[in-house]
Amino acid sequence: MIKFSNVSLIYPNSTTTVLEDLNLEIDEGEMVLVIGPTGSGKSSLLRLINGLVPHHTGGILAGDVSVDGISTQFVKPGGMSHLIGIVGQNPIHGFVTDTVEEELAFGMENLNLSNDVMRKRVEEVLDLLSLAPLRNRTIATLSGGEQQRVAIGSALVTHPKVLVLDEPTSALDPIAAEEVLSILQRLVHDLSLTVVIAEHKLERVIQFADRIVYINGHGETKIGTPEQIMVDSPIAPPIVLLARALGLQEIGTTVREMRRMTQDLRDKNYQNSPTEPVAHESAPIKIDSLSVTYPGREAVKNFSTSIYNNEIVALMGRNGSGKSSLLKAIAGIAQEYKGTVDVLGVNPQSLKGKARRECIGYIPQEPSDLLYGQSVAMECKQADTDNEVKQGTTMALLEQLVPGISGHTHPRDLSEGQRLGLALSVVLSSNPEVLILDEPTRGLDYQAKRELVSILVSFAQSYDKCVVLATHDVELVADLATRVIFIADGEKVADGNTIDVLLSSPAFAPQVAKVMSPHPWLRVSDVTAAIELS
Amino acid sequence: MNKPLLHPLTWWIWAGLLAIAIVRFESTVLTVLCVGAVAGLVFWLREDAPWGRSFAWTLKLSLWILFIRTAIGTLIGVPIPGNTVLNLPIVQLPSWMPGIRIGGAVTSERLTSAISEGILICAIILIFGAAASLTSPHRLLRTLPVYVYEFGVSVVIATSALPQLVTSVTRIRQAQMLRGQSLRGFKSWKRIAIPLLEESLARSLELAAAMDSRGYGISPKRSRYRPIQWGYLDSLVIVSAIAVVGLS
Repeated sequence: MIKFSNVSLIYPNSTTTVLEDLNLEIDEGEMVLVIGPTGSGKSSLLRLINGLVPHHTGGILAGDVSVDGISTQFVKPGGMSHLIGIVGQNPIHGFVTDTVEEELAFGMENLNLSNDVMRKRVEEVLDLLSLAPLRNRTIATLSGGEQQRVAIGSALVTHPKVLVLDEPTSALDPIAAEEVLSILQRLVHDLSLTVVIAEHKLERVIQFADRIVYINGHGETKIGTPEQIMVDSPIAPPIVLLARALGLQEIGTTVREMRRMTQDLRDKNYQNSPTEPVAHESAPIKIDSLSVTYPGREAVKNFSTSIYNNEIVALMGRNGSGKSSLLKAIAGIAQEYKGTVDVLGVNPQSLKGKARRECIGYIPQEPSDLLYGQSVAMECKQADTDNEVKQGTTMALLEQLVPGISGHTHPRDLSEGQRLGLALSVVLSSNPEVLILDEPTRGLDYQAKRELVSILVSFAQSYDKCVVLATHDVELVADLATRVIFIADGEKVADGNTIDVLLSSPAFAPQVAKVMSPHPWLRVSDVTAAIELS
Repeated sequence: MNKPLLHPLTWWIWAGLLAIAIVRFESTVLTVLCVGAVAGLVFWLREDAPWGRSFAWTLKLSLWILFIRTAIGTLIGVPIPGNTVLNLPIVQLPSWMPGIRIGGAVTSERLTSAISEGILICAIILIFGAAASLTSPHRLLRTLPVYVYEFGVSVVIATSALPQLVTSVTRIRQAQMLRGQSLRGFKSWKRIAIPLLEESLARSLELAAAMDSRGYGISPKRSRYRPIQWGYLDSLVIVSAIAVVGLS
């Protein structure tokens, strides 16, 4: 169905080739997963399929890409629209109309299909993706998962043979992600649709993939079944790391397979090292009966909690459950709220300038919002001057967090993970007492996530400070958080130790816990530690 | 209340007609009244959507324009005789710039003419701002014929980028405030403008790519899923605007 023959790709003004001599044939009805570190060219590979690269982006392409016998050399992306449906990284940026129905019809209108065909197909897709109750809604008011479904639906209405998705679940909570992925799997099985996906969160998609294409970022690619690629891939989900740590002979990619392989292991008795309760001295953040309201909607309802020193608190919950609003209230930028928020004894709304920097560090959903310098070096220098610290402090911090960034680089040219690192070092250079992060792992690969975990853990523990983060990433929470607060519809549903909260809900349990249930282990390191102990 | 859904071109035609009327009025009082009525209409009818908020921003923009226009109009130009309100020192200009004067006596005649000219400019900006905030840019695009394809893409991008800009400014200002930056003066604008431009550019490219990959403009004819119809309300709006032009 899709054929890459001797494809090489290089962008102008770039020293590294994105792809080098790639040969790949994808059959009809196959689900192919594209993996690789951030910035390695996964998106480029996807966009080659319908010719957006190089028609839209420039770049030098050697070799040939063809879909169903049509080469992208001679046909522009528009000419492929009946054959290929493509869903971008941020579906909201690609919506052309305002309401769900109109968005679904847009692609067919362009193909000049007759009105009754359009009506039928819109109904079909509304049913297929269970979008019928949303048909007249304004797209901007939908939740992330719903928007993702609309984007997939509007790619499907033209009855394409190939569906291409760039990180379809990165912005979704675990349940919405599962919903989207199971729809995709059904399409592959029922309609024999060919699906190509790029995704960082392998734990979510690997069980659906027939084959994996691994791109290392220097032009080399590796193609094989998940089992073949996962034997030595540096990018691997926790389940594979577990198999490697236990020295299993085969690599399982689903929880079911892994449970079969670890049957004997689980049957033994283990002594778990008792976790001693940590005594908390002071609570830098105190929230008392907080309610945040927007016009027509209550985002946070009567929320009270205290967050102590040394704690890393993860806020979890569905898309739109009020996590960001809560974080904004703690940071002092929520417009209107009732109740009291108290950070280190003051109302965070009253903090300004240097006092604010020293009290609260905040990383927004888009870390680039914080950056305005023309180069990394300028950005760091500005932070040094602002915080009256020795010149070079921020740069040194950055080097420690994300080594190897040249000071001359423009922040825009950094990868997602590097940009987060820069924003973090700018914020940390003022040594804040409280650090707040809003969805820090969007677009981060496993390597960048591991670095983030070690930075945050050392920040909280060695400096005795507290960290609050909102995230959908269950595996990150398992690795990082000491406490989890679960929010639904603005209300606190659960609040407790990470292990208790995560194990109490199957949807939010990390992979290791699912495999090792009923043993209370969240991480690979928990498992190996317990085995060594006994 | 269920707001009536009008044809996307209605408000733009209406704005054009009102602009003609305002120019023909040559009366500051009527112009201000007209703008007041338009503002009332916008606050009554606008939807809670990104483009709905763009009127407030045009309002701010036009106040700035009024201020700058008045300042320049009173300070530079040909003197108009009349009652002197205050005397400013005259800046000496080289001899090759005859007839232009900076500073000097500010007469009340000069002040009123500068202000009324400023108000006229602002009124026209505001009326088109009202049209922009009452019409969804996406629906507007769909009324355009396919042969202006390139134009259509740029219109969609420009019109959806502007309201997007408004939301982005708010978000970036918040983030910068959290970095403890004081957001006053010209310098702060640079701090907002850079992430803002970067984001709008990236978004525009993304939207163009999305439209392209969904086949926008490949077929010479486009079918309509829900044809946009011209209703009696649309005619009513246009007739009322024509009436205003007739009165002027």
